[in-house]
Formats: sequence, C-alpha cells, structure tokens
Amino acid sequence: MKACCDHQEDLPSVAETVGLNLAFGGQPVLRDVSMKLPAEKVVALIGPNGSGKTTLLRCLLGLQEPDSGEVRLFGGVPLKKALHRIGYVPQKLELDRDFILSVREFLALRLKATRHWFWMGRRALDDRLMASMAEFGCEALMDRPIARLSGGQLQRVLIAFSLLKEPELLLLDEPTAGVDTPGEQSFYELIREVHDRHKMSVVLVSHDLSMVYKHAHHVYALNGSICCHGTPEEVMNAESLKEAYGIGVSPYHHHHHAH
Amino acid sequence: MLTEAFMIRAFLVALFLCPLCALLGVFVTSRRMSFFGETIAHGAIGGVALGVALGFANPTPVVIVFSFAVAASLLWLKKNTELATDTVMALLLSGSISLGTILLSRLKGDFRGDIHRILFGDILAVGELDVAIAGGLFLLVSIFVFTRLSSLTLLSAQEDMAHVCGVNVSRLNLLFVLALTLTVAVSVRLVGILLVTPMLVIPAASARNVCRNLRQQIVLSLVIAAVSGIAGVAGSYHLVSPCGPAIVMTCVGMFLVTLACRPFLRRSIRS
Repeated sequence: MKACCDHQEDLPSVAETVGLNLAFGGQPVLRDVSMKLPAEKVVALIGPNGSGKTTLLRCLLGLQEPDSGEVRLFGGVPLKKALHRIGYVPQKLELDRDFILSVREFLALRLKATRHWFWMGRRALDDRLMASMAEFGCEALMDRPIARLSGGQLQRVLIAFSLLKEPELLLLDEPTAGVDTPGEQSFYELIREVHDRHKMSVVLVSHDLSMVYKHAHHVYALNGSICCHGTPEEVMNAESLKEAYGIGVSPYHHHHHAH
Repeated sequence: MLTEAFMIRAFLVALFLCPLCALLGVFVTSRRMSFFGETIAHGAIGGVALGVALGFANPTPVVIVFSFAVAASLLWLKKNTELATDTVMALLLSGSISLGTILLSRLKGDFRGDIHRILFGDILAVGELDVAIAGGLFLLVSIFVFTRLSSLTLLSAQEDMAHVCGVNVSRLNLLFVLALTLTVAVSVRLVGILLVTPMLVIPAASARNVCRNLRQQIVLSLVIAAVSGIAGVAGSYHLVSPCGPAIVMTCVGMFLVTLACRPFLRRSIRS
C-alpha cells in the first residue's frame, strides 16, 4: 500500500482493518487490505466496479467474515456492542411495493423507546422521531409509504434513520445510486452538514471522484488492495487513480473543496 | 348449526388459523415467500399419506413432522448447492406430491377416495386434537410475531440493515420459517392443500388495497381473515361444499370490495 501522506496515521481511529484477505470461489476480492478510519473525519473509499469497496464495508460491519486478517472497531470492542455505535445507509432497500411501511413506522424500528410502535399512538411516536426528520426537512414524509419515496427522499430518510441513535461512525454504501445529478450534489452537501453538526466519522463508498474531491478529508483508493491513500489532492493525481481504476483518468478539480 | 360439535370445532379452528395465516402473510408477501408456503402446503400431501399409512386416525402430527422435513431439505439444498431457490422448491413440491399420491394409491379402504378432502379441506375432518394444536399455535406464533415485530419488519426492509440494528438475522429467519411451516402444515386440515397459499396472500393483498401503513394492513388483514374463516365455514355447512373454497371465495369477495373502495380512498387522501 502506498501512503501518499502519513499525517492521518497519528489520528485516533474509530475502526481499522489489518491485512484483510478474502476470496470468492478462488477469486481474490480483498488482498492484504489495511486501513484506519480516523475519528471525526469524512473518509471516501473509491475504486472501480468490482474493486471490493462494498465487500470491505461488509467486513467492517461483520456481514462478511474475511479469510484472514482482522477488523478492529472502536479499539477492539466486540461486534455486537460496536454495532450500537454505527449507522449504516445501504445502497437501496429490498422493499416490495406491496409492503406499505410508512416512514414513521420505519424510523420507529430504530429506537428502543419506539420498538413497540404497533401499540403506540401517533403523537407518542412523533415526540421521539420528529426532531430527526425536521433536521432533514422531511416532516411532511412521515405518513408516506417508504417504498414510494423518490431516490433523494429515501436517502434522507435512511440517513435520519441511521442517525437516530447518534452513531460515532456512519457508513454509506454508494449513497447516491438512484439519485439524479442535482440530488447527488445536495446529498453530499447534506452529508457534510451532518458531519459538521454531529462530529462523527463518516465513510463514503463512492465512485464519484468529483464529489469525493470536494467533500472528503481522506481518501482510500481500492482495487482489490489499497492502491494509495491520502488527502483528496494527494490521491487525485493521474498516476494514483490510474492504479486504482486501471485506466488513465483525468481528475476533477473543484475550487471549493474541503481543505 | 352451532349445536353441532364438529361445527364449533371448525369455527374455532378457522378463528385461530385464518388470522394466523394472514398475520404471517403480511411478511410472506413483502418478502416474496409465497412459493415457499406453496411448497410446504403441497408437501403436506406426503405427510397426510404417510400418516394414514402409519395408521394415525388424525394425520396432523405426521403432517407437521413431514413439513418440517421438507422445509429443512429446502434450507439445506439452498445452502449447500448452487441451485436457484425456485428450482429447489419445484423439486421438493413435485417430489412430495408424487410420493403422497403413490402412497395414497397403495392404501386400502375408503381413504383413497378422500383425496378431494385433502386437497380442498373438510370441516368434518377437524377433530379435538386439531382445535388444541390450532389454539396453541395461534398463541405461540402471535406472541412470536408481536414481540419481534420491529425485527421482522427490519428483516423485510433490508437484511444487512437489520444486522446493523442488532437483529440476529439467521436466527430470526429460521424462526420465521419454522412459524410459517407449522402454520401451513396445521392449516391444511381446514382449507386443504391447494388453498393454504391464498390464505397467506389474499387477506394481506386485500388490506394493501385500502391501507396506508403497516399497522393498518396488519389489523385489516386479521379482520378480513377472521370474517372469511367464519363466513367460509358457515357457507361450507349450508352449501354442503368443501371448506377451503368457501373460505377463499369469501376472501376473494373481500379483495374485490377493497379494490372497488380504492379509488374513493385515494381521492379522499388527496383532498
């Protein structure tokens, strides 16, 4: 692994992987992947399709057991306890259109206080859930079936859901898949605002280089193994990206990035 | 009608089992598991035949054991082969039907002619043991579903998300499959092998037509299923017809009513 810079090595980390190896059907997917997720930073995990980004995220969440190597969450807290401190936004829900779970009911699934939502009144639920929805300007969506939301609305609801327990680490897997371009822009701005307000660590799995350049503090470029990592400026040089993507790529240059 | 003991037994079993099927049906439809229910229900013909061949007067316990064997085979084949779930289900479904039919054709006595009752249900076949099993199952499965409602709902929404929220996904999946297998196996006696799946699907689908959230859907599915069960058993008695079709036709009628109400409700929601 090439470290384009080493200044983040000294920062306290919320999660790290040490020498992860994983193969599916003899085909290696992750090769000796070691990374550290610094506390209170936005980290982007970039790489082409099939580069192992989602698999790495699944290893972090305990959804996938690596063949070898180790995942350490919050300095070695057992997975079950660590999950209480993690928020996760998947690419999409598997909801059938037949399933008319309302946004209010969906949010209620996250909290212990609203676990028995079936027997609770609407006002009692809203008392506990509305603040989170208001933060994302989604109060009007509470009665809508979640399977009928637009891509952008669904992403906001999923973020509100994952923040209900005030996690220390928020993992987002290709969060803008299914969202149109203007929606994408405002979504990344929202993530940045959420990060600034809640001061948690954020991991963004993305292939959108321009957004990463603008919004991440630190970038890991993955293509089976970690090709390089560092600040967006350091990683976004043609050589590093060429390694990650296996092709020549002209990096995007935005004038108003985070650093 | 209510002075006859077999009718009271049939009403009780309908009141226990129809709402239970509907309750599980809400999750079966959302998780696209209808074919699973169909496989277990059709597999029950093997259990009925085996029970009768082994000399059981009431084959329900053998049907339950046989259905568990079918469900376990399904899960094992899914996990240990590369076969698609649909393929595994088709294999088990056709295998169980064939085994049951061969066994039934080898049986001596009147039972061979009872295939009609096995396929479509029979209120006369509901014994005291069936009432006790249905009542116990109703309690057990209702407690399971309502105490784990949030976890089951999360599981239907997204398994990975459920895991991150602390749900033991594989254990809950297994418990749900067990509850579904038991309910389907026990319901076969009342509504028949061919008509268990509609009891899982139609109440939930009818409620879906007019409801706006999951709580409403669960409550209305339970009501539709209970009314269909009672009306179906009564209809079966008066029309001297098999029980399953009478229950399912009531359900279909309710589906049509909810479908007709749908445009009006939509208009009122918009305004």
